[in-house]
Amino acid sequence: MINNILFMNGYGAYVWLSFAFTFLACAVVYYKTYKTLKKYEKDFAKELVKLSGSKRRLILEKSKVASQVFASYKNSI
Amino acid sequence: MFYLISPSKVFNLIEKLINFINSIFFLLLIVALTFALILSPPDYLQGDSVRIMYIHVPSAWIGLGSFTAIALLSILNFTLKIKNLNMISKSLAPIGLLFTCIAIVTGSLWGQPTWGTWWAWDARISSMVVLSIFYILLILTHKFILEDFKANKIFNILAIIGLINVPIIKYSVDWWNTLHQPSSINLLKGSSSIHPSMLLPLILMLLVLLLYCALIFLMKYKTEIIKIKKKNIKRI
Repeated sequence: MINNILFMNGYGAYVWLSFAFTFLACAVVYYKTYKTLKKYEKDFAKELVKLSGSKRRLILEKSKVASQVFASYKNSI
Repeated sequence: MFYLISPSKVFNLIEKLINFINSIFFLLLIVALTFALILSPPDYLQGDSVRIMYIHVPSAWIGLGSFTAIALLSILNFTLKIKNLNMISKSLAPIGLLFTCIAIVTGSLWGQPTWGTWWAWDARISSMVVLSIFYILLILTHKFILEDFKANKIFNILAIIGLINVPIIKYSVDWWNTLHQPSSINLLKGSSSIHPSMLLPLILMLLVLLLYCALIFLMKYKTEIIKIKKKNIKRI
């Protein structure tokens, strides 16, 4: 049974290589996309931290995106 | 209607969708892989090498579908001038490139045991290579042209030009003599010549890969929204 799944009557190398390549490529793209998202979230939150208190409050009140990114950044530190 | 896809409206929803996809993805992946690698029967001619189809075919569909979506969004963008559509197109391009490359590589791995060659410049394969070149050009447009308006314009023009290649890919197996067999599934008619025992893993793998695409798209779209908000931080 396990031999059949592994060797697939001589086609195992082609089949497993296809699946391995696909999952490796997908994993690399996922990792890169996730890293980039986190980097931009962090940079955006840092920009907000740099602002004066009143200006930051105004931005967080006006922009839902800013308030959510800032909240998740505060939770992560 | 386009108000509904405004970044502020969808930002909260994006996070919820990402969490939902993450929660079901691995379960569905295991089920799909079990069907694709263990439970589905070997083909009477191709033997077990037919299992490559469960990766190759959905990847080709996604590569082709993403480009069609990008091109249609570009046409809409030219007529309606909606900024969000550019962000959606920009987020779709890397996904399309990834799956076009997967389709080409797995096709090559399938070609060796089936046709006896890793590569042939037949109409279907050549037009898929052209598709990947269009994807690379689209991605490079935003990498090298820093002015957003100009980059978006070139991106849209390239996408519309590239749309000519889509029917060529689809009908290449009917118009020319190629190594590829004619399509076994007609999405328009809803008919298929594939046996249900092979159709089920194909559909399951398509579903898994589509969920993966949705996950990457949502993360990329979220990144694009944050990039714009960061640029506008002084104007908020």
